[in-house]
Amino acid sequence: MEIKQTALAGTLESSDIQIMLSKGTDGVSIELESDVEKQFGDQIRLVITETLHQFELDNVKVKAIDKGALDCVIKARTIAAAQRALQTQDQPAWEVF
Amino acid sequence: MDNEIVDLHLRDRHERKQWESFLTDLGITDFSTQETAAIDFTLGIYEGDRLVATGSAAGNVLKYIAVCNKDTTNGARFNAIVSALINRLFQQQIFHLFVFTKLKYSDSFQHVGFHELAHSDVAALLETGDEGIDDYLQAIPRVADQDTKQVAGIVMNANPFTKGHRYLVETAAKANDVVYVFVVNTDASLFTTAERFELVQAGTADLDNVIVVNGGDYMVSFATFPAYFLPTADQQVTYQTTLDARIFRERIAPALNITARYLGTEPLSRTTGIYNQVLTKELPPAVNVTIVDRKQTDTGTFITATAVRKAIAEDQLDSLADLLPVSTVTFIKDHLSTLRARIQKGMNINGN
Repeated sequence: MEIKQTALAGTLESSDIQIMLSKGTDGVSIELESDVEKQFGDQIRLVITETLHQFELDNVKVKAIDKGALDCVIKARTIAAAQRALQTQDQPAWEVF
Repeated sequence: MDNEIVDLHLRDRHERKQWESFLTDLGITDFSTQETAAIDFTLGIYEGDRLVATGSAAGNVLKYIAVCNKDTTNGARFNAIVSALINRLFQQQIFHLFVFTKLKYSDSFQHVGFHELAHSDVAALLETGDEGIDDYLQAIPRVADQDTKQVAGIVMNANPFTKGHRYLVETAAKANDVVYVFVVNTDASLFTTAERFELVQAGTADLDNVIVVNGGDYMVSFATFPAYFLPTADQQVTYQTTLDARIFRERIAPALNITARYLGTEPLSRTTGIYNQVLTKELPPAVNVTIVDRKQTDTGTFITATAVRKAIAEDQLDSLADLLPVSTVTFIKDHLSTLRARIQKGMNINGN
């Protein structure tokens, strides 16, 4: 699936993550900015990628600015951004949770 | 209400005063009308009655960001105010943002996902959003084996495209394998961006080695060089043009193998005059600057787009043939009533 518009979810505050999705050309590409990139970078990327796969988003550019978010927060923000990008906010994606 | 993000209404005298005195305490003191009038909205955070953080947006540029870090984790309020600004702009479908800040704050913005485009000794310009300068550069058409070619660049507003612009492009086209003509993207001129672009294309269509591209947000745009569009003090112009020149030198020129930039002499506009001086100082040795004498008509007057706009306003269309290529003359005759209407509506025709 292709995204319909650029979308954003989350904030830059402590323990949160800001996820921005925009049209991509080359699979799922993730640009991650995080103070704990060295320790948790791979895990953060994994959570984002898996969540996007559940929405069947294959071509998408992700910009993620992490401020120490837990996995559940990363997942929630990614879901919100994906649904905004697909303009399906009004249809909760139960199967993804 | 503590630490909640609220809208500040700068038209409200009390809030305006509070906002100004908070910024003044933190060293921001320029509240001239042309700076503040461009602000679309302003957000703030209060601690009790005390303003402790604020930030504004003008179009896609973040402005007047100031934060007091007393009694709080360093950076917490900064991150809160910046994310609130970004969220608000995204709701308005503005997905590509800039901030022009003091050099020492560049790191703080990079920490919240901004990328630095260029910096000078005093200031830095950063961007964030769904598309960056790399995407812009990638989308520009290239020729085969561009790495081995002699490539030149020209940046012009072309409001509208005159014989003077044509002469500049021709001069560059004769001396180089490829010439990029970057047309200023900001829509703040009598001729719209689409019209200016079309007229540059039409006026250079016979030159095979000329590629006309939109200058995007990176060349003499409202973000990089607001003084081009607004009357501004000389020192400010120098700050802004230094950044504009460095973006060209460090980002644009290397990506396209541009090693020469052509400028026209500027006898009339002071701002453009300073711009030319700064480019001459900043671009070499990476990019050579060639200044071409401004073309004159057969009777010895300088060809300027300003004179063309004046002729349109004063209905002296006969004089245009001396100043403009046929394609531009035809366009003006076909769209005369639209152009006049824009002038009557108050479009400034004396600036750039």
